[in-house]
Order: sequence, then C-alpha cells, then structure tokens
Amino acid sequence: MTNNRITDHPVLGKLENQTPVKFTFDGTTYTGFEGDTIASALLANGIRQLRVHEETGAPRAIYCNIGHCFECRVTVDDTDGVRACMTTIRENMKVDSGKLQAVPFKSKPEEWPRTYAEFEKSSKKDGVPHV
Amino acid sequence: MYDVVIIGAGPAGLSAAIACRESNLHVLVIDEFPKPGGRLLGQLHQEPTGEWWNGIEETKILMDKATTLNTEIKCGISAHHIEKTDHGYSVHTNEGVFESENLLIATGAAETAVPIPGWTLPGVMSIGAAQVMTNVHRVRVGNKGVVVGVNVLSAAIARELQLAGVELHSMALPASNPVTKNHANPRKVMEGLVRIAHLAPSAFIRFGSKFAKAEWVRNIAVSFYPKGGVKMWGMPIHIRKAIVQINGTEKVESVTMCDITADGEIVKGSEKIIEVDFVCIAGGLYPLAELASVIGCPFQYVEELGGHVPVHNEQMETPLEGLFVAGNITGIESAKVARAQGTLAGLSIVKQKLRDHKDINAKIQQAVANVQAVRDAASIQFHPGIDEGRKKIESAFEEYKIS
Amino acid sequence: MDKLIICRCEEVSLEDIENTANKYSCSARELKLRTRAGMGYCGGRTCRPAVDAVLEEVTGEKPGNDIPLKVQPPVRPVSLSVLGGKKR
Ligand SMILES: Cc1cc2nc3c(=O)[nH]c(=O)nc-3n(C[C@H](O)[C@H](O)[C@H](O)COP(=O)(O)OP(=O)(O)OC[C@H]3O[C@@H](n4cnc5c(N)ncnc54)[C@H](O)[C@@H]3O)c2cc1C
Ligand code: FES
Ligand code: FES
Repeated sequence: MTNNRITDHPVLGKLENQTPVKFTFDGTTYTGFEGDTIASALLANGIRQLRVHEETGAPRAIYCNIGHCFECRVTVDDTDGVRACMTTIRENMKVDSGKLQAVPFKSKPEEWPRTYAEFEKSSKKDGVPHV
Repeated sequence: MYDVVIIGAGPAGLSAAIACRESNLHVLVIDEFPKPGGRLLGQLHQEPTGEWWNGIEETKILMDKATTLNTEIKCGISAHHIEKTDHGYSVHTNEGVFESENLLIATGAAETAVPIPGWTLPGVMSIGAAQVMTNVHRVRVGNKGVVVGVNVLSAAIARELQLAGVELHSMALPASNPVTKNHANPRKVMEGLVRIAHLAPSAFIRFGSKFAKAEWVRNIAVSFYPKGGVKMWGMPIHIRKAIVQINGTEKVESVTMCDITADGEIVKGSEKIIEVDFVCIAGGLYPLAELASVIGCPFQYVEELGGHVPVHNEQMETPLEGLFVAGNITGIESAKVARAQGTLAGLSIVKQKLRDHKDINAKIQQAVANVQAVRDAASIQFHPGIDEGRKKIESAFEEYKIS
Repeated sequence: MDKLIICRCEEVSLEDIENTANKYSCSARELKLRTRAGMGYCGGRTCRPAVDAVLEEVTGEKPGNDIPLKVQPPVRPVSLSVLGGKKR
C-alpha cells in the first residue's frame, strides 16, 4: 500500500492520534483520516485519477484543490458532480469516479438562460441539472 | 434575517465577523471549504526576522476569538448567487437561502492558470493545490516534481514542499505562448525575483537585489544567469530554462525542459527530458470577484491589484448600499493585510447598522491607518505599485458616487 | 508537440481559438460563444485570465473594466434539488 502521509514535519510537528475513516472508491475500500477530503484521502493512498473528461475520456485529477476548477468531480452516494477536494470523507461513504458519457448533453450557447429567473425556469422545465 | 452575512471564512471574513460580534451584530459566516481559515490555513513561511508565519496557528487565534464571541460559522456551504432585495440581500447557497441586511464578500483570490501542453494530466496541479495538500492535509503530492513559474508565491511554496520532505528537481519558467507572456520572459521574472530577494537566505540573490534596482544590472544578470541556476535552499531556480511540455499517458511521467534566451525564446536542440511524477503550475493570483459581479457591483481593471476588482472606498464600502468587500477580492496582498481589511470592513458594517455607535468613526479611522501600516510593513508583496493601485480604485469609487 | 489546451473544461485549444478567429474575424465575446472557451463547468474560473490573454492577442481587444462576458449566476453549478430550496 502506498502511504503518502507526511507524519513528521519540522515546523508543523508530528501527525498523531488520527481517527481512521473507511470509504470506498470505485468499489475498493480505502482508509483515510477524519478531516481528510476525498481527494487527500485518495492521494494518501497513492490514487490520483478521479475522473475522465466526459467527452474525450482524458484522465483528470485535482488541479486547484480549493474548489475553483471542478476537475475533481466524483459521484458520492449516487450524487454526481461532487468536488472531491471540498468534501470530507465519512465512514462507509461510497465514492465513484466520474465517467465517460455516451451522449454528452450540449446546448447551444444562444439557448442558455440570460437571467437567473430564466435559468431557474428552464432548469425546472426540462430537468437539466446543470448549466 | 441577519444583520450581516459574510461570504468567506478566510482572514478577512473572520476578522470582520469578530469586529461585528464585538458590537453584538447578528452575524453569519459561510465558507465552502470544510474548515475555516481560507488560504491562511496552508501558509507557512519564515519572516525576515526568522519567526515562522504558521497559518494553522494564526487561524486558531482568529477562531478562538470568534468562538468566544459566539459567532455562527457554517463551513461546507457554497454561495452560488446573490440577489438584491428591498431589505438587503438574499444569498443563495446549496443549503438554502439566507437573508441579510448587509453583505460582506470576502472570497479571496484564485490562481491564474499558465497553460502548457500536457497540463491536464493527473499529477499536474496549481502551486496552491500542493500547498494545501502538504500543509493542511499532510499528504505528499508526489515523489519528485518541478515547479513551473518563478514568483513570490511559488518560491514560498517550493520551500514549504522541501520542508515537508517532498523532492523538487527545480523551478523553471513556462514555455512562451500568448498566455504565459510575462511569466515566460526572463527579464520580467528577474524583476519579480528582485522583489522577493529579501526572503532568500541566499547571499547571491540578496546581493544581486541591492544592485539590480538599475535596469542595466538586471539585464546583465539575466544575460549571465548561471547555467546551473541560482540555488535557493539548495534547489536550482532557472530563469533561462523553460518547461515546454509535460509528458505522460495516464499521468505525469516527465517534463521536457529547454534553454531559453534572455528574451524567452527557445534554444533549438536544447531539449532535456526530466523524470518527475508531479508538476506545480504557478501563474500568480487574481481577485475572485464573481459574486460581486452577479449583483451588479461596478468593477475596475487594476493591474497592480491583480485584475478586475469591485469598486470600493478606503472603508471597504462598495457603491451598492450595504455591500462591503475585504481581503484579496479587493486586490492581491498578504494575509496580514487581509486581516486588517477585515477588521476595518467589520467596523464599517457596525457603523452602517448602528449609525451613531459610540466612537465608531474614530475606530474606523484607526483601522484605516492600521491597514496602511500593515501594508507598508508587509514582507510579502505580490504586485509592485500596490499603493497606486489602491488610489486608482478609490478614485473610481469617487467618480462612481458623483455620476 | 501536444496541442495546447487553454480551457480545460471544454478542452478548447489555442489552435481552436486561432482558427475560429481567422475564420469569423469576430469579437472576443463571439469567439467565446463559438469555441465555448471559458463556458465550461467551472464557469471560467480556471481559464478566464488565460482565455482573455489569448483573445486579446488574436482580436486586439484590451480587457475593459467590466468583468469579461459578465459572470452569469449561478457562479457554482447547482443541482435541481438545491434550486427548489427553502428560505431561511
Ligand atoms: C492558493 C493560494 C495560496 C496562497 N498562499 C499565500 C501565502 O503563502 N502567503 C500569503 O501571504 N498569501 C498567500 N495567498 C494569498 C491569500 O489570498 C491571502 O494571504 C489571504 O488568505 C487572503 O484572505 P481572504 O480572507 O481575502 O481570502 P481567503 O483566505 O482566500 O478566504 C476566502 C474564503 O472564501 C471562500 N469562498 C470563496 N468563494 C465562495 C463561495 N462562492 N461560497 C462560499 N465560500 C466561498 C473560500 O473557500 C475561502 O475559504 C495565497 C492565495 C491562494 C489562492
Ligand atoms: S481540484 Fe479544483 S475543484 Fe477540486
Ligand atoms: S477551464 Fe475553461 S471553463 Fe473551466
């Protein structure tokens, strides 16, 4: 098993008395520490790749690690589009990598909502979950 | 209905919350990161005095104060939209809508991307990502890497990686393309290095900085830059080499490094493959101001402040009634400045709410002076000409009020 | 050499943007709409400065004082259940 933990740090001190938390990623069980995000727990276990680009299938992992880039989207307990870098692990959490999509949803920019009211209306009407 | 909702629990947001709670305002702080502290959490550098600036400890100090004052802080909540209402603002989040009379946006900064071929591969990350992984989560981002982009932030974080025992091959510039421009220009980068020289325990750089104030000296320094790079903490910093490509199929396997001329042009035939398993990209910071934009706050492009900044005055008020800003959203500066701005914004909100509150004007004047004092003493400066930048944005506010 | 992706979300390359610019010789705004650069899942947070730099290079338009292509809400992708959300 890969262990990428920084247990000793000359300024920040030792990493001690951590509470282990078990979760699964694509069916395999991993252990992280309480307070870990999905991304940090997986990287501690040597796992980088979190998804593939929905259309091209190119492998992707964290990029910004602070919630801005959405590159780390995974599915958590069947909710998709969850940022692995912003979500803390819970005992028995089920995490799945982001997959290739057979028929990608694409609308034309001209059809996009221009106001928030429009957005709210259109997304309720046809059940399209995301902009 | 809150007196004020504060978006962002970084040094600015937390300090503002403390100032508001000290006057008993009804306050809610939200932040999308699982822990409070914002980008302060990952910071770890040695001040020129030798003292350590430890972001985790600094956050603890702020949080202890906020907790003693019974401040309501909710983490793991993202604001995705704000609406102006008759009584103030509605903040739309993934946990419902929060209504508030006043609003403080303290969302901090985002990193500017420096695209190079191969930068979407797993193992390539922004330099800030590596900082958070290393110092906050205590996870090694890889076995051996390179840093692409030489600036104050990347130098500080490269040092943090070293401290945590993560091996870095070197720091180098990105290959020149329409995006990388200044980041890929050795002369421009040298100007930046001069500004961070005081941080370097390297006699060469410190020595250089004294003289390099004159342009002709800098040109010579760039022209005769040592082939092996200048070493900072034992790690080579190259400003005459560039990373032109990141290689790998499923993840980062290596990078291609080339020599470049003093103007950033690639020297043909100088390609070298360097095996690494991670790459950190450092393109600098820009104010993360999208939420101010959706409610129609006017903006001004100010290069010295890092990009588009919401128009505001010295007291952190925007032209929209009840809307305040503080911290890096108002311009890229160090955490200490963000903290001082937060306190100031908090006091301005107290004044807005309680009007004739005792001594408030004197306190605000003091807080304004404190922001300036902290700015003048800052050991880390991200952009030159911060004072001119500040003047520009304040005169934009004045103009806005007149029109 | 691999192509240079500028917008990660939509995998739009420098070449794509340059080709579109040459073909339509259009404004920065139109270029974004045509190539979808900056219009991906992250809302341009990652690539906005980069896309702006490329657009300035190919169209000659300097960044104005408004936030380029004015940010549209929501500034974070939102799921349906959230939009039906409750007031507090
Ligand atoms: C990656 C990175 C590394 C940095 N490293 C250093 C360093 O080493 N030294 C230094 O002096 N400065 C550093 N800085 C600069 C840093 O911005 C300031 O030091 C300081 O942290 C700014 O404080 P702030 O309160 O303005 O913002 P931040 O500390 O960034 O806090 C803003 C908070 O707002 C939250 N937020 C943003 N948008 C939303 C939303 N829509 N909904 C809910 N919450 C939201 C964020 O999660 C964040 O916690 C760094 C900045 C970045 C981005
Ligand atoms: S890595 Fe950027 S949002 Fe998670
Ligand atoms: S990287 Fe371009 S929209 Fe996300």
